[in-house]
Amino acid sequence: MSAAKTEASASGNGWVGLVPVALAASLFVWFLSFVPQIGAGEVVRLSWDWVPSLGIALSFLFDGLSLTFALLISGIGTLVLLYSNTYLAGHPQYARFALFLTSFMLAMLGLVLADNLIAIFVFWELTTITSYLLIGFGHETYKGRRSALQALFVTGAGALAMLAGFILLGFSMGSFELSEILAQGDALKAHAMYLPILILILAGTFTKSAQFPFHFWLPNAMAAPTPVSAFLHSATMVKGGVYLMARLHPGMAGTDVWFWTLTVAGAFTAVFASFLALRQTDLKQALAYTTLMALGTLTLFLGQTSAYAMTAFAAFLIVHSLYKAGLFLVVGCIDHGTGTREADILGGLARAMPVTAAAAALSALSMAGVPPFLGFIGKELKYAGALEVQAMETVVVGALVLANALMLAVAAVVAYRPFWRPAGGAMPHTPHEAPWPMLAGPVILAVLGAFFGLFPGVLQWALVDPTVAALTGGDLHAKELKLWAGVNMPLILSAVTVALGLAIYAGHRSLRAALIRATDAGPNFDRGWDRFLEGLKALAAWQTRVLQSGQLRSYIFTVFATVLVGLGGTILARGVWQGFPDLSGVTWMNVALMALILIGAIMAAITRSRITAIASLGASGIGVAMIFIAFGAPDVAITQLLVETLVVVLVAYALLRLPQLDRPGERDWRPWDAVLALGVGAVVTVTLLAVLATPFDRRLTTYFETASWPEAFGRNIVNVILVDFRALDTFGEIAVVVIAALSAYALLRTTTDKAAKPATQKDKAS
Amino acid sequence: MEPLLALTIGVLVATSVYLMLARNVLRFIFGLILISNAANLTIFTAGRLTEGQPPLVPEGLDAPAVVVANALPQALVLTAIVIGFGLFAFALVLMFRAYSTLGTLYSEDMRLAEPREDRAS
Amino acid sequence: MISWYLATPLVLPFLTAVLAFLLRWGRAGRWISVAGNVALLGAAAILMARVLEDGVIAGQMGQWAAPFGITLAADLLSAVMVVITAITALAVSVYALADVPKRAEHLGYHALFNVLIGGVCGAFLTGDLFNLYVWFEVMLISSFGLLVLGGRPEQIDGGVKYVTLNLISTILFLSGVGLLYGMTGTLNMADLAVTVPQLENQGLVTLIAVMFMIAFGVKAAVFPLFFWLPAAYHTPFFSVSAVFAGLLTKVGVYSLMRMFTLVFTGDTGFTHEILLWVAALTMLTGVLGAAAQNDIRKILSFHIVSQIGYMIMGLALYTPLALAGAVFYLVHHIIVKANLFLVGGVAERIAGSTDLGRIGGLYKTAPLLAVLFLIPAFSLAGFPPLSGFWAKYVLVAAAIEIEGWAIAAVALVVGLLTIYSMTKIWAEAFWKPHPDGTDPTLASLSAHDRRSLIWPIASLAALTLVIGFFPEPFVTFAERAAGQLLDPTAYIEAVLGGPAT
Repeated sequence: MSAAKTEASASGNGWVGLVPVALAASLFVWFLSFVPQIGAGEVVRLSWDWVPSLGIALSFLFDGLSLTFALLISGIGTLVLLYSNTYLAGHPQYARFALFLTSFMLAMLGLVLADNLIAIFVFWELTTITSYLLIGFGHETYKGRRSALQALFVTGAGALAMLAGFILLGFSMGSFELSEILAQGDALKAHAMYLPILILILAGTFTKSAQFPFHFWLPNAMAAPTPVSAFLHSATMVKGGVYLMARLHPGMAGTDVWFWTLTVAGAFTAVFASFLALRQTDLKQALAYTTLMALGTLTLFLGQTSAYAMTAFAAFLIVHSLYKAGLFLVVGCIDHGTGTREADILGGLARAMPVTAAAAALSALSMAGVPPFLGFIGKELKYAGALEVQAMETVVVGALVLANALMLAVAAVVAYRPFWRPAGGAMPHTPHEAPWPMLAGPVILAVLGAFFGLFPGVLQWALVDPTVAALTGGDLHAKELKLWAGVNMPLILSAVTVALGLAIYAGHRSLRAALIRATDAGPNFDRGWDRFLEGLKALAAWQTRVLQSGQLRSYIFTVFATVLVGLGGTILARGVWQGFPDLSGVTWMNVALMALILIGAIMAAITRSRITAIASLGASGIGVAMIFIAFGAPDVAITQLLVETLVVVLVAYALLRLPQLDRPGERDWRPWDAVLALGVGAVVTVTLLAVLATPFDRRLTTYFETASWPEAFGRNIVNVILVDFRALDTFGEIAVVVIAALSAYALLRTTTDKAAKPATQKDKAS
Repeated sequence: MEPLLALTIGVLVATSVYLMLARNVLRFIFGLILISNAANLTIFTAGRLTEGQPPLVPEGLDAPAVVVANALPQALVLTAIVIGFGLFAFALVLMFRAYSTLGTLYSEDMRLAEPREDRAS
Repeated sequence: MISWYLATPLVLPFLTAVLAFLLRWGRAGRWISVAGNVALLGAAAILMARVLEDGVIAGQMGQWAAPFGITLAADLLSAVMVVITAITALAVSVYALADVPKRAEHLGYHALFNVLIGGVCGAFLTGDLFNLYVWFEVMLISSFGLLVLGGRPEQIDGGVKYVTLNLISTILFLSGVGLLYGMTGTLNMADLAVTVPQLENQGLVTLIAVMFMIAFGVKAAVFPLFFWLPAAYHTPFFSVSAVFAGLLTKVGVYSLMRMFTLVFTGDTGFTHEILLWVAALTMLTGVLGAAAQNDIRKILSFHIVSQIGYMIMGLALYTPLALAGAVFYLVHHIIVKANLFLVGGVAERIAGSTDLGRIGGLYKTAPLLAVLFLIPAFSLAGFPPLSGFWAKYVLVAAAIEIEGWAIAAVALVVGLLTIYSMTKIWAEAFWKPHPDGTDPTLASLSAHDRRSLIWPIASLAALTLVIGFFPEPFVTFAERAAGQLLDPTAYIEAVLGGPAT
């Protein structure tokens, strides 16, 4: 991570660095000003027209849920931007970085506040794009580029499914305004399209929130600079999916599909990710997997409908954002201060980095769910919520206990070992404390975790109650957040968790080795991604070889085959064939002309001799001219003869300067081509016969005959048509001939230099 | 005669298609010449045939007194013949130039724009 | 008087061509080309204003009443196509100031270019089927000249494939016109719209419809007729690639839209079902073709094919929303696709190649170009809120509206694969360091070249943003245009005069 090695200074990046911080901070304050209103149970809605003809508006809704998210996003955003300004001080691409990060924050705010489905999608994709650019901040490495693409592609795929789901939802319910749709939740749940809508939308939320089996992109996204990881991959972007499920909860939850899908996916992701978290030695990777665990847990609770589950969701959402962002920033400080993030190397940092150590400890205790931190309240509520799930309580509770115990172990790995245990190896630089702008974030977040633990009432009133109201459509009230709820089942479970967690930490090294063996044996989704891309490329290459072979003959064959199949198929499908025509009027003269044309054509097709070919073409052309003469078109005949003569002369001129038609000893006999050719000829004849069998409408010609002399003053009707009635055709015709001459001349005179590849593009002097 | 011409055109098209599919691009040019004739005959025939009488307004009359050949297809064919010639001339020069630049008249050897090693990487 | 509104955008390019040709030896020629296209844009804007105000307008050339003479007609679709043609032509003519070498100018580049534009405008404005054929030929022959100008062996090779396949399509088109005339006795499109439904043998009408479908299908580069496009579009000057990419295939699409909403509407269960399959396969094969390429221009060329599929999809679904989507898509696509080729040209100039394996580093040292690439590229990929998102959104919504699940799924999956291709260019040409270790910058261009190259790109990108952020007027416009296409009464009345029979 070259960026981290840039020597940090408190001076940052000047105004480029400070303006985004100020913007984020003022947004935070602005959102804060909504708290009294929203806390009192009000909902604020703002709306502007955007694409009214498609039912798309820029409408925003401030309720408990969106305000909670908005505060987390803008608050953590402020701290992260402040942190980044120092973390990446003097980086040549800081301006872009700040632009992307600020844009990301704004997009995320748009996403959680928008009330219109399509507006939500627009902001959703904006977060995808900006995170693509942020993950690719280390764009000079292959890994950075790969991770960026992976995140973009996986979440992009889900997003497109989600778009289909949104459109379907909008059409099914007759509105794209989410608040209107959710108000008819029962109708939605009973709708025939409920299941497809749900599946499509969940495809979007599961990919965005990295639920199993779409989880693999998130740890790779840690290629981004650490503040980005803290922001995008803990507090905000990945929670976009969770947010959306929460938003839809009042309208869509309560069905069996909803319950089973979210519960199973959430529980599985939580446990699976916790094990993987313990497996990691890179602190940031370990945190990344714990984020997956948190997302799984949140998803699990959204699967339920009980008041405990909803309260657990609201509380844990806030807890997790606070401690996870804090810990990511701590890891950034460690990386910054020591040059490594390897758990096995780091140690004894508490002396050199006391403030970081304190912040880490506070956040980790919250993460571990130890009283009196907010994390403890969150965990108690989780257990209370889990005990109320509508099926498989024991499995869910067991899963949560295991996941939380693992979490505690990971918290110790991240926040205890590096600071308080001896170092396991030489660190790249001598550890030193981070400057204050980098400490502000971790400290504030850690202190908030403790503060809310001691005074949960503030949080309850300001955010949790309104959030639960939003989640349930106002049907349920939140349960109380309290540190001491008496000796009850959750408390017992907590005790079990702590004991188990400490045990796991004690044996985490050997457990890690076992985990590495176990996971290596299982399917590797990240490698699956590579295989998917390789498969895609192989398919593309195969298709290109087959279709775009570079062989002109196969192109022409395909085009004529399309003609044969298209026309032949239509003739059969639509019964065009009208029976054999009447040939009674045919004269010997006609047959002779036809013979002349056809013998010429066939000779031209089969001959190997250039002279014969030229002569045959000429003969065939003369035959055509004679037909024109025979049927009252002397002008056409003269032109045809003239042109035919020119053609023959030109072909003869060219042929004499070019080699023989066939290479010596080669015969140009192609049976399949002949079959195709005969087929095309046959459909042409059938088509023409069918056209000739229809009655003919001569009204245009009748008009020309009567108007030619009186109105256009010409006696040769053909000429009058050309120069007057249809003069525009003649204008175009002249243009074609002139340009043909010009093009042919240019073709002969243009540069011949075979070596001049890009030079032709560059030899412009002016 | 019209059905007979329909047959003629069909055979003309068949020979052109066969020629156009040849390895040597000069044979494509031959096919082009023949198929242009076929297209012109198609227009001419589709406007129905009238034996003998060219579409002229005799001196002293405002309109032809007898049934004359359909003038409109003739005008269209004239335009098409001239345009077709322009296209043919360019195509011929192109093949000529192709031989001098690429050194071959065989389309299977013309692989510069889409080279063989053009695979996914 | 109306005739002049219609004829001016057609005549101006030819006038420009003649003047530019006469003055091709000095600098005047290229500036005449620019000035001519400014004037064309003005004329197109006036035409558009007229059409917005009066609805469909028609002018009888030489004052011969329809269907006897040749009619020029403009509905909203025609008008917007002319406007967008003028915009593209202007952008490319400015770009050409720095892109086209003197040698090519002396050989008549500007004349060929402007005649091409004239042909394109003619095709959009004519109301006569044979006249459409003539404009196709004008376009085709000048595109032949432009394609091989420069004379590199690849150009000649690509030229052979381009010329042969397009000539086949031309012959098919010409024969189709002849046959349709043989059945109806008329060439005027509005008149055809009246006559064709009255024909006895409707099976034959379907047959001729399929014939036109194949002829225009080659021009539009749909599956399985698109070979000529990826074989040739990466070989000429970037200016030429850009104008081809923007406009030529779209004339094919326009013609399909015109004929299959105005004339061939009697058997939509058959013809439009075929079109729907064609659309799906075109989208898929095009996007997969792009995934196999490793050169900016080749990737972009295959994407033209895939994007054509979306427009055909709109036509095939044949609902008001779907057609509106197709119209919106046409407009968006022309701007974006032409622009991407122009960006590719600058990338080649400063980084040395369009082969993704041989370039890189543009993000670091040419951030302006990076932004100017990202806008059209992400728009093409359909990211909101850029123009391509709305185009895709409307089409997908149209498909879902009539429960066309499969085609909606194809459209979305192809969107995803488009993201893959665009990010491939981005990752390789922009993010990856340059393999030679050099830092390509725009400063390496002369001030004159930089101005001429960047301004058109920036303007087209700005247009993409405007459409993206303020889509409402464009959507309502597309809906109105679609309304005119689905109910051609106004068109027929404007051309034939008086209520249609």
